Amino acid sequence: MKAFIDFHIHSCLSPCASLEMSPRTIVARSKAAGIDCIALTDHSCAENLPAFHAACAEAGMSCLYGLEASTAEEVHVLCIFDDLSRAMDFGRMIYSHLPAKPNNPKLFGTQPVVTVNEEVTHFVKKLLNIGTDISFFHLVPMALDAGALCIPSHIDREMCGAISHLGFLPDLPYDAVEVVGDVPAEIARRWPVVRFSDAHQPEQIARRFTEVETEAFTVPALREAFQRLLLK
Amino acid sequence: MKTNELTFPGLQCVQPASGDVEITGGYTSDLLSDVMAHLKEGDALITIQAHKNTVAVASLTGASAVILCHGRTASPDMLQAAAKENIAVFVSPGSQFENTCALAKCLGK
Repeated sequence: MKAFIDFHIHSCLSPCASLEMSPRTIVARSKAAGIDCIALTDHSCAENLPAFHAACAEAGMSCLYGLEASTAEEVHVLCIFDDLSRAMDFGRMIYSHLPAKPNNPKLFGTQPVVTVNEEVTHFVKKLLNIGTDISFFHLVPMALDAGALCIPSHIDREMCGAISHLGFLPDLPYDAVEVVGDVPAEIARRWPVVRFSDAHQPEQIARRFTEVETEAFTVPALREAFQRLLLK
Repeated sequence: MKTNELTFPGLQCVQPASGDVEITGGYTSDLLSDVMAHLKEGDALITIQAHKNTVAVASLTGASAVILCHGRTASPDMLQAAAKENIAVFVSPGSQFENTCALAKCLGK
């Protein structure tokens, strides 16, 4: 099947995202935009995935479960699972590698964990949009070994992109690379190029998306589908 | 030295701070997690990170000012945040090394 996918969306849990980004709002907006499958990818924390799962289930929306991990070099990497509990385990592990600095909501924004009914259960304590102590070179194999699709985020963006922070894109077996602008042909020949919204506000959902031809919305099927995006 | 007294060739203040904010030292880094861990209160932060999060980290750590290197343009939301947090923002065409040396000279270090 042909499908439109957006695998880079932040919920209200990300301190830099709008509080309007509840799981139900994300699902409703994505549906209205004609997206067939979405993934929630908050900064280095998976705690809003259960509510996101419930919101997708009640709306009949296909979904994957992710997070956007930040490496020691402050490079952002999308780690996307097709299994909620694996994503939660990976999320807890990543969170444990964040510095023990509490968030200051006045400076960075709040980090609420919510239910599907948009009730706040608690606030995540450590600041989420800062680097963990895991290097990029370790994180990529860790994500792949854990069963995730591993996609460096906005590789061509100056802030928290792999090329600007590492000087070049290391030759590692990513499933794809997310880009915002134009990308050199040598990159598009080596890795599948995808575009996702990186939405932090409702109106940003689906501002960028990718069309794939996939058998299913599972990690193996999408991995295969991404290969068809390679520049010949 | 107060932030409004800081001057060296090429340095331009794009967001002044009010009051008597004292620059007591400097910290040069482009990794905000590193800044968060090591910047000492009163240090001016010398960096290329020209965005809003830089101000949040500067405010959290008690930085006296932010000096952006290589003439990087501060984003509008960075300047708004700096005004709110009363942190002076400077831009200079120099490198991190050049700005560090210039600041050290101004501070007599």
